[in-house]
Amino acid sequence: MSVTPEELMALADGELSGEEAARVEAAIAADPVLARRLEAERGLRAALRGRLDPVAQEPVPLALTDLIARTAAADAGQGMTGKAAPAPAAAPSPAEVVDLAAARTRRKEAEKARDRAARRPNVPIFADRRMAFAIAASLVLGLMLGSQLHREGPVTQTRAGLAASGSLARTLDRQLASAGDVDGLRMLASFRRQGGDYCRVFAGTATSGIACRREDTWLLERTMAGGGGPSSNYRQAGSVQGDMLAAAQDMMRGDPLDAAQERAVIEKGWR
Amino acid sequence: MRTHDFCDQLTALLPRLRRFARGLTQNPADADDLCQSTVERALVARGQWQEGTRLDAWVYRIMRNQWIDETRSRSRRARTFVHEDEGMNVGIAGDRDAENRVELGNVDRALARLPADQREAVVLVLVEGFAYKEAAEIIGIPQGTLTSRLGRGREALLKELGETA
Repeated sequence: MSVTPEELMALADGELSGEEAARVEAAIAADPVLARRLEAERGLRAALRGRLDPVAQEPVPLALTDLIARTAAADAGQGMTGKAAPAPAAAPSPAEVVDLAAARTRRKEAEKARDRAARRPNVPIFADRRMAFAIAASLVLGLMLGSQLHREGPVTQTRAGLAASGSLARTLDRQLASAGDVDGLRMLASFRRQGGDYCRVFAGTATSGIACRREDTWLLERTMAGGGGPSSNYRQAGSVQGDMLAAAQDMMRGDPLDAAQERAVIEKGWR
Repeated sequence: MRTHDFCDQLTALLPRLRRFARGLTQNPADADDLCQSTVERALVARGQWQEGTRLDAWVYRIMRNQWIDETRSRSRRARTFVHEDEGMNVGIAGDRDAENRVELGNVDRALARLPADQREAVVLVLVEGFAYKEAAEIIGIPQGTLTSRLGRGREALLKELGETA
């Protein structure tokens, strides 16, 4: 009884069943040449999977999840304002399309800027950027947290800039991103930025931001009102977190830390 | 359709989409760009997805079509600049880049050498695990055409990697 190459391939791919499969299997069992061929087919599949499966294990870039989260948040917002909005997903608004294209352009620009910076390591473009963040942070925090800027509050003024203190600093030190919301504060991502400092994106009930580790303190690189916690609605939370993650993506060197890396670096005290 | 469900499902697909993109493009940077443009396209077209049908096959189809468009415009660009007798060999610019890089493993090199139509058939069935019928629908070809591409692609890979790949 003969077996065609197509039949053998179909068996290897799990396309045969019942009698057909039994017939081909019997023929293969009786013929060492066919058996070797089937073995090779299976080996090929294993080799391809061995090469490509690890890609599916890598952390997904924030830019992608963020893109989807923004759309979900925008549509959720539409759903809340429009009464019985007819199929809000059917026709995306032109503004949104432009927005996606703009986001892509921004990403490319950021990549170019990083490339330029990498080629000319002496040009301190990050110094400017840090300063801009610090200024923005002071303005936002000054307005929001004015009364909390005392010794035990979540933020203190240091010579290097605004730093996390009290419970915020302790949470930044210890809390895993996988822990979710603990006492109104969630860690969204941890990463290393250009230059090697560790940074974390956090979302709290009142404030969200990016804090980067410098010596023993968490300097606040960026902050924004809202972003997490039960009191803010989905749309606000989604867009604030999206903005923070987009900002983090621009600062990041390589990929965000995965859970195991994050745990390891917490153990080492972020050094 | 509830956008929220669509977005949740799409997010859950991202790891697999990244794997498929790498299989198609053979290059991490191209794969990232392809994922980005595929997700953008899927979000814009989300009203066209029919609930109850498989979202993965729908998005894979978008990705595959985006990549075809990209490779076509690349080979057009390449042809404009490449000398005539060299131009005969121009397929996908990415393929040549891939071949030039020394750190590529055997599997990468063998995949990169496959014609694009055989490569997508091989990747959809052997790596992504689609049934013949589903893979044929994603590519938009009859099932018989799919199996013949798959057979030729497999033959070439086995030859290149040795029967004991």
